[in-house]
Amino acid sequence: MTDRRSTGADAPIIEAPLATEAITTQRRMSDARQSTNFGGRLKHELQFIRGRGALEITIVFVVLLVGYVIASLVSPTSFAFLNPNNLSGVISQAVPVLAILGLAAGILMIAGEFDLSLGANITLSAIVFIKTAEGVGLWAAIAAGVLCGVLVALVNGAIVVYTRIPSFIATLGMSFFWMGAGIFINGTTPATLTTSRDETMVFLFAQDFGFFRSQIVWLIVIGVLAWFFVHRHRLGNHLFAVGGNPAAAEAISINPKRVKLMSFAIFGGLVGFASILIAVRTSSMQPGGSATEDFTLFAIAAAVVGGTSLLGGRGTVLGIIIGAALIELIRNGLLLAKAPGFYITLFVGVTIVIAAIFNKLMEGKAR
Amino acid sequence: MSALYRLTGVTKKYGPNTVLDDVSFEIGKSEVVGLLGDNGAGKSTLVKIMSGVVQANEGEFHWDDAPIERMNRDVTERLGVETIFQDSALVPFMTITRNIFMGREITNRLGFMKMKQMDAITADVLDSVVTIEGIKSPKQLVASLSGGQAQAVAIARAVHFKRSLLILDEPTSALAVRATEALLNYLTHLKSEGVSSVLVTHNLHHAYQVCDRHIVMNHGRKILDVRREDTTVEELTAAVVEGAEGIRRYREGRF
Ligand SMILES: Nc1ncnc2c1ncn2[C@@H]1O[C@H](COP(=O)(O)OP(=O)(O)O)[C@@H](O)[C@H]1O
Ligand SMILES: [Mg+2]
Repeated sequence: MTDRRSTGADAPIIEAPLATEAITTQRRMSDARQSTNFGGRLKHELQFIRGRGALEITIVFVVLLVGYVIASLVSPTSFAFLNPNNLSGVISQAVPVLAILGLAAGILMIAGEFDLSLGANITLSAIVFIKTAEGVGLWAAIAAGVLCGVLVALVNGAIVVYTRIPSFIATLGMSFFWMGAGIFINGTTPATLTTSRDETMVFLFAQDFGFFRSQIVWLIVIGVLAWFFVHRHRLGNHLFAVGGNPAAAEAISINPKRVKLMSFAIFGGLVGFASILIAVRTSSMQPGGSATEDFTLFAIAAAVVGGTSLLGGRGTVLGIIIGAALIELIRNGLLLAKAPGFYITLFVGVTIVIAAIFNKLMEGKAR
Repeated sequence: MSALYRLTGVTKKYGPNTVLDDVSFEIGKSEVVGLLGDNGAGKSTLVKIMSGVVQANEGEFHWDDAPIERMNRDVTERLGVETIFQDSALVPFMTITRNIFMGREITNRLGFMKMKQMDAITADVLDSVVTIEGIKSPKQLVASLSGGQAQAVAIARAVHFKRSLLILDEPTSALAVRATEALLNYLTHLKSEGVSSVLVTHNLHHAYQVCDRHIVMNHGRKILDVRREDTTVEELTAAVVEGAEGIRRYREGRF
């Protein structure tokens, strides 16, 4: 810059604009786009594949599903996928819970945040639901369970938004706090649904309709609502704006803090609701237990498999639901093939790391 | 005539660095003001303060002679200040339509967006405001646009929602020649509709072509504030390149 300044008096400056930051960064952006080397082109291709949303994952899902159906028709005994017990007892209970948790994590990720206390939130909300159901009644319990989820997430959200501590750290730390809170209100023995687990409760949250259960209905209802909210409501639009480019959102007078708090609240509500499904299915919840901890990463994995960006600003409701279904389908396949259960954990771990690498590749573009 | 927007004694520090030092100026009604200066002179910071996204350490602000008590983006939004920031104006992984209507979505009473209507308006805006070549559909992601196209979208958004003051930070830096001409003409057109604008640019020819008044910044200080008829491209060049010293030399040399 300095040499230009000294020669500028000869007036080249009025002939052409100086190379400003803007010009140089713009050039860099278009260079990447027109790049001719293999790495650059690959990067460019990957960016656009991901930009299209849930298409690829839907194809993978359908192919796998067709494969399962064929395998099950060919040998119904050794691969009992289509067995009503499997469809109703396993698939239609597991998919909705993971899909709802995936939507929770995904909506938060679109806004650019994470909540790693998801598992602890489930434990606490389920305990609150169980204790209220036993002590007060079903309707109060439903409200209490969902409200507990919202409050836990809002506390986390407030810490993240107002202290600007990265949400990873803040919510991981808070996760121990919420686990402890569960022990605090219930001691170390499990909270159990006994007399309150009546027909109404079961009908609402775990009724067996032959080859599907109530949970599937909830997933459809929540999925449709989530789709309209995320993809068609102005507040949903603000999620993408804040997660995709907070400075641009703020410049147009969208308040990123408010939007992030809202996404934490939605996250909490969905987690609270999922914890009710889990509590009614299992009838009990162990305070401080590790039973729910896997859900934290599985929910993020469902979102990521479904095309949600780890950097924020991208994701689709349909993609997340299919991502969750795909993970549960693979888990079910492993179960039916009598493979060891930890394979699914390996799969989820690798998926998240691959997604992180993917996001890293795209970073240049998004920023 | 009273000024539309008046800034008095604006000072901004980042840590030990004084980025803006006691800067005062005003923007008249229906006036196009050029804000000039070398890289790092403080132009973008000044733009951010004027639009309320960054708070000054000191300074007073008057709109239509009424003092603004607390400057922030909500206030400037209400007053009708529309800014295209040099960096980060758009969200890459949102469609053009969603970017243009970001924060100002057309919705029904429940807050659900009227996508078709917004797409149609976007298509119109893109055709009428600045001709942008190569954009296929309002549903295209901004990430798929070239730098110039993206900048044109940001400009289209700003002029579509024009109200009282349009601030453009280096808008022409990535635009093709034709789009630049169109934009400069548009500023003149806006002026005839009573909209003021501030044009931040390095290209003195662009500024000289359309601005009624020029403000030159140098190391955080205002060193020149002249109406077009009282200056020349040569003086502006000297001011931008050599600072206050350059202005003095230019004036001595001329007389
Ligand atoms: N957020 C920030 N933190 C610290 N320094 C900054 C920040 N923004 C700008 N600056 C500094 O302020 C000075 C003016 O920058 P800027 O307003 O961008 O100038 P211009 O737009 O005229 O090139 C530069 O020295 C820059 O490094
Ligand atoms: Mg600048």
